[in-house]
Amino acid sequence: MKPQVAFFDFTSCEGCQLNKLNFENDLLDILKHVDLVEFREAMDDKADHYDIAFIEGSITSPSCVERIHDIRRRSDVLVALGSCAVNGGVNAMKNMHPIDEVRETVYGEDKYLFATLPAMAVSSVVKVDYEVRGCPMTQQDFLKLLIALVLGKQPPKYGSPVCVECKLKENECLYNRGMVCLGPITRGGCDAICPSFGQFCTGCRGILDDPNIDGMLEVMTSHGISLDEAKKRMQLYNSNEVQL
Amino acid sequence: MECFSLLRSDVPALINHLGDFGEVIAPHGKGDVSYSFEVVKDNSEVVLDYNRTLLPLKKMFLPPVEKLMDFSLKEVTYEKVDVAITPRVFFAVHSYEMQSILRLDHSMLSGSAESNYFKRRQSSRFVGISFKPDEFHFSDSVGIAIEDMEGFDLFLNEVDGDFQLYVITDHGQTLIDGFDRKELTTPEIVDGREFKKKIRYHYNRLPRVFQYAYHSDVWADVASQCVGCGACNLTCPTCFCFDVQDEVTVTAEDGMRQRNWDSCMLSTFAEVAGGENFREKTVNRTRHRLYRKFKYITDEEGLPWCVGCGRCTAFCPAGISLPDIVNELIQEDEKAQYHRTVRV
Repeated sequence: MKPQVAFFDFTSCEGCQLNKLNFENDLLDILKHVDLVEFREAMDDKADHYDIAFIEGSITSPSCVERIHDIRRRSDVLVALGSCAVNGGVNAMKNMHPIDEVRETVYGEDKYLFATLPAMAVSSVVKVDYEVRGCPMTQQDFLKLLIALVLGKQPPKYGSPVCVECKLKENECLYNRGMVCLGPITRGGCDAICPSFGQFCTGCRGILDDPNIDGMLEVMTSHGISLDEAKKRMQLYNSNEVQL
Repeated sequence: MECFSLLRSDVPALINHLGDFGEVIAPHGKGDVSYSFEVVKDNSEVVLDYNRTLLPLKKMFLPPVEKLMDFSLKEVTYEKVDVAITPRVFFAVHSYEMQSILRLDHSMLSGSAESNYFKRRQSSRFVGISFKPDEFHFSDSVGIAIEDMEGFDLFLNEVDGDFQLYVITDHGQTLIDGFDRKELTTPEIVDGREFKKKIRYHYNRLPRVFQYAYHSDVWADVASQCVGCGACNLTCPTCFCFDVQDEVTVTAEDGMRQRNWDSCMLSTFAEVAGGENFREKTVNRTRHRLYRKFKYITDEEGLPWCVGCGRCTAFCPAGISLPDIVNELIQEDEKAQYHRTVRV
C-alpha cells in the first residue's frame, strides 16, 4: 500500500505548501508513490492516521500546541517543512520583544482576546523526525526527502555552508562585490541560488551546527556594517538559534 | 630553446592559430573584479593581465561536480559515463598553476590512476604567461619562479607590454608551426617582479618547523577567526578530496552517482557512521589543512604541496593568510630554539 501523506499548516505564509502544487511535471510521479489524505490547500478530505505528516509553520499559540500534539499522536513520521517549522523562522523575531508589547502592537486594546506564545519550532513541542529547510523550502529538497522516505533510506542531511555550493559554481564572492553575505555560516543544500543571482544570503536555511558566531560578526563588521546591524541580519531567520 | 618576439596585438592571431589544435581555454573576466578559465569563444574576451582565477585550472581535469554513472534500480544495472579524450590548449596559465597540475598528476596518477582525470589530461597543451605578483602571491617562497617553464609547451614572457615567446617542447614547436614568427628584439632580462608576500624561511626548512608545530597555540588563534566556510580548500589548486553521492529521480526507478569537491575545513568532512568525527573542532581542521600542504605529502615527495597562488588567502572572508600562519609558526619555532640554546 502506498504511504498515506498529509500536509498541515501552522503560523506561516503557506508558501511552502503552495510550492508543492507547483511541481507540474513531477506531480503525477509523486502521486504514484503516495496517497494524499489531507491537504487543505488542495483538497477537502480528512483522515485518522498518517504515515507521513508534513508540518509547515511555527507554533505560536496554545491552540497550535494542542493541534500539533494531536497530529503527532496520529502520525508515524513527522516532517518539518520550511524555515518556520524547522526553527521558528522570521516569526521568531517576535521573541526578541516582550510578549505584551508584541500583542499590543498587533491587536491594540483587544489584545486580551488573543492568547499567544513565543514563536517556536515544531521540534520544541513534539518529536520531529526529518526536516526540509529553507524559506520557502525548495522543490528539489522536498523531492529528495520524499523519494528517500519512499525507498526507505535516510534523507540527505546538509551540514556544509552555502559557500561550498557557491564556490563549486565559481561565483564571485559577494563580499568582493561590496555585499555582506551570511553564506559562510548558513546551512547549504539550496544550490546557492541567491548568491548565484547576485543576492546575498540571508540565512533562511538556518545556522550551521557548530558556528563561529563571533568570527562571523567580525567578518560582517569588517565589511562596513555596525555590530547591531550584523546581529539583526543574523537573527532575521535565526532568532531562536542565535542568542546575541 | 627558441625565443621569438610577439606583439600584444598579435596575441588574438596566436589564439586563433592554437585553435587549430583543439579547444582553447583561457582566463576571462568574471563578475566585478574576478577571473575564471573558460573556453574561448571570442578571442577579444581573453584577459592576459589577471591576478588569479576564482577556481584553479584543476576544474578542467577534475570537475567540481562530475557525473560518474547512471544506474537503474528497476533493472539493477549501471552505466559509466565515458569521458572523451579531446585536444585542448590551456592558454595564459601562470607558473604556479602549472606546478599545481604537475602535483595533481602525482596525486591522481601515481598508484592506481584515476581514469577520468587521466583521459582529460591526455592531449592537453599548456601555454604559460608571466604575471605581476599582487599582495597575495607567494609562489617564490615555495620554490616556483614567475618564469618557471616546467610543464609548459610555450611560454609568453611579458616585456614592456609585448611578449617574448619561448618554444619549450616539441609539442610547443608543433603548436606554432605555420605561425608567423618575429625575431627577438626586446631585452631578455625583466625586472619589477618583486613578491610582496613571503614566507621567511626557505621551503626546505618548513617540514622541520611543522614537525614541532602540532601543539602550537597559533592553531587556536586561527580557529577563532575561521568561520568554517571551506573557501580555502575549494579554491586550492592542489586539494583533490571529493565526496560521492547517489541521487534517485522522482520516478524512484533510476538515478545517477556524482562526485563533488569536498573540503577538510568543513565540520562534516571527517564525520563517519555513528556520528563520530575525527576532526570535530575547527582548531583540528585548520591545523590539518596546513599539515597537508607542508608536512604529510612533503615528507614523502620533498616538495611543498602549496604552490603560493594565494587563493586561500585572497578568497577567505575572514582574511586569514596562509603565509602569515606559517611565519607565525616560524617565529614561535625560533623562540623555542632560542630557549633550548640558552638552557644548554
